[in-house]
Amino acid sequence: MAAMEGVTMAGAQDQPPKVVERLNPAVQQQLNLDSVKTRAISLFKAISRILEEFDVIARTNAVPKWQYVLGQFSMVNLELYNIVEDIKNVSKAFVVHPKNVNAENATILPVMLSSKLLPEIEVEDNVKREQLLHGMQILPVAAQIEKLKTRIDMIGAACESAEKIIADARKAYFGTRQGPTLLPTVDKVQAAKIQEQENLLRSAVNHGEGLRMPGDQRQVTSSLPMHLVDVLATNDTTQTFPDSSGMYQKGTPPLLTTAGNNSQGSLLQVSGAQFGRAAASPSGATGSTSFDNTTASPLQYANSPRSGANIMNMPSPQQQQPQQLQQHQQQQRQKMMQQQLLNQQQLRGSSMPSLGQSQLPQLHDMTSQAQQKFQSMQGQHHVQFSQPLSAQQLQGRQLASSAMHMGQNQLNQGNQLNRQLNQFSSPANSAIFNAAQTTPASQMIPNMSAMMPSQSILPRMQFGISGGNRTLPAPSLSDQMYNMGAANAGGMMPIQQQQQQQQQQQQGAFGNMSQNTPQNIQSNMLPMQNTSQNHPNFQQQRQQNQQ
Amino acid sequence: MECVVQGIIETKHVEALEILLQGLCGVHRESLRVHELCLKSVPNLGLVSSEIRLLCDLEQPEPTWTVRHVGGALRGAGADQISVLVRNMMESKVSKNALRLFYALGYKLDHELLRVGFTFQFHRGAQITVTVSSVNKMLKLHSTDEAVPVTPGIQLVEVTAPASSENYTEVVAAMSSFCEYLAPLLHLSKPGVSTGVVPTAAAAAASLMSDGGGTAL
Repeated sequence: MAAMEGVTMAGAQDQPPKVVERLNPAVQQQLNLDSVKTRAISLFKAISRILEEFDVIARTNAVPKWQYVLGQFSMVNLELYNIVEDIKNVSKAFVVHPKNVNAENATILPVMLSSKLLPEIEVEDNVKREQLLHGMQILPVAAQIEKLKTRIDMIGAACESAEKIIADARKAYFGTRQGPTLLPTVDKVQAAKIQEQENLLRSAVNHGEGLRMPGDQRQVTSSLPMHLVDVLATNDTTQTFPDSSGMYQKGTPPLLTTAGNNSQGSLLQVSGAQFGRAAASPSGATGSTSFDNTTASPLQYANSPRSGANIMNMPSPQQQQPQQLQQHQQQQRQKMMQQQLLNQQQLRGSSMPSLGQSQLPQLHDMTSQAQQKFQSMQGQHHVQFSQPLSAQQLQGRQLASSAMHMGQNQLNQGNQLNRQLNQFSSPANSAIFNAAQTTPASQMIPNMSAMMPSQSILPRMQFGISGGNRTLPAPSLSDQMYNMGAANAGGMMPIQQQQQQQQQQQQGAFGNMSQNTPQNIQSNMLPMQNTSQNHPNFQQQRQQNQQ
Repeated sequence: MECVVQGIIETKHVEALEILLQGLCGVHRESLRVHELCLKSVPNLGLVSSEIRLLCDLEQPEPTWTVRHVGGALRGAGADQISVLVRNMMESKVSKNALRLFYALGYKLDHELLRVGFTFQFHRGAQITVTVSSVNKMLKLHSTDEAVPVTPGIQLVEVTAPASSENYTEVVAAMSSFCEYLAPLLHLSKPGVSTGVVPTAAAAAASLMSDGGGTAL
């Protein structure tokens, strides 16, 4: 309805005063506005009549005759449809916006419908028209159009000529700068050289080709640059990291050398024995060589499946031992001592200044049983540890040997065995020495007692030698488990009562031991031979037992 | 993720390139002096060996360290068509203890190099960083003061821009369009694809270096 109204209005309003705009006659005929209007009005009347009837029915509350109502509805519907169809045919000639009059456009519609411009826009329009048609407004429209066309053509021509001039200037400019316009080519020989260099550079940056240094050059010989000084600080060991792939296979010696760098020479001289290592406070030991833990040996515990033959092949993880491993250190130390004693049993000499105490009794207490074990172990590990010994190791060995001059002949083993042990144990000893840091000798003795753990030491002692072989490569005494395991596997010595006594006397063990001069030890040899207990405490117990 | 292209330029043209970049980027150059240590893990640490790069920025008064892991590149037909390499990359600032940490973890020093040059960082569709540097190797371990260039006559130009898997196409487009501006002086390509030098480089460098007087029309 609204569309029809709009159309009707549009048709009616085409009567501006100046120019009469009429609809195209053909459209007008086809549209046949008058008939459309008549039809619309009649339809409107019919619908209003029907609505009145509904009203009456509603008021009287009568039941409407549905058939009749539906018939009326369909008639109205059909009529509307016909009207719309007729209009659709011509509605293509019109564009109507908005389609419907509703609340939002009811107020604006009059403005939209007006053909007069808003005042200000009208003013602008007039000004522009004046500019454009300056002096031409008198002429008829056709003439005005002609004149405007010529004007446009002139402007177009001017633009083209301007562009041409700019292009010519550009060519001239670049021509003088670049000489011939041919593309310059690169000389082939030069190109090849450059290509080669380029490949070098690219591979260096992306893959590091040509930048890798062979292992032997990887020692920091010159001073480090500032930014690396405190990063790589006191650690000489970092140099070996590129090579530390060898650490796994080589086992002890690299560790020893690196550890040796860290240790303090004086300590070696003085301490000599394993005491030094165990006695040293772990903090001192762990301080500088925290890097050495790169040997990530998976072997931590002797009870692990690897603990069999592989133990020797895999150095224990750390040279440095955190505080909780102090006990392990002790045990290892004990083993070392035993080994050394074994080695040097035939040697007699003056007692070691600080070493003497525990080593001697241990030697004495070796039985053939232990020795055999030792020997067998020796055979295994001889290869591994018969490596070039550093000066420190030699020193250690010498010290150990001098310590053994206490003269215990009771354990007469082959010299070969001793030598093997020597070779074999002294690296271990040195390793322990090296890893030990700053503890002066005087501290060792009292610390020894502190390091004597409980009864479990005794059984370890027996197997200490064999066990020690395995753990030699690293002073890491994380073998407590191993020791216990080994000890348990081998069967405990009858040590129960001894253990108890041991515990009681731990503190005074070393003090007492120190009293064991060669004579005492010798006197104790015989009884001690009955067992394979090498523990100094044990020896003391024996003494007491005897007494 | 990052998008990266590399190119080479002869050392004699580096100054011209700097002028061009200055004009294109609108920022000032920043000097670059980075000691790059490449660490590789040993085979039995993890399933595959991995590579970590530690970068120490020596230009600052206090050296700062960065750790960088370069991952795999985007693959596929689509990746072949784009002229820029898009690869995974993780980077983080670390303390100076990073080197110790990685040594302790079992990484070994594979190689090291020193980059000396300058860099421009700007935003042009994406945050782009252009680095022009001479790559130096050290004859003695860690001796950054005695580093010699790997290729004295040629320097490396690297254009990188961080990207994510969602927006990398836009970043690639931005980088490509920027690289076209550098066409007179050098060609940039994916790392690993060699480009050679550009024939117009000399002329372009000459024109950039000249005082640029114009001819009268």
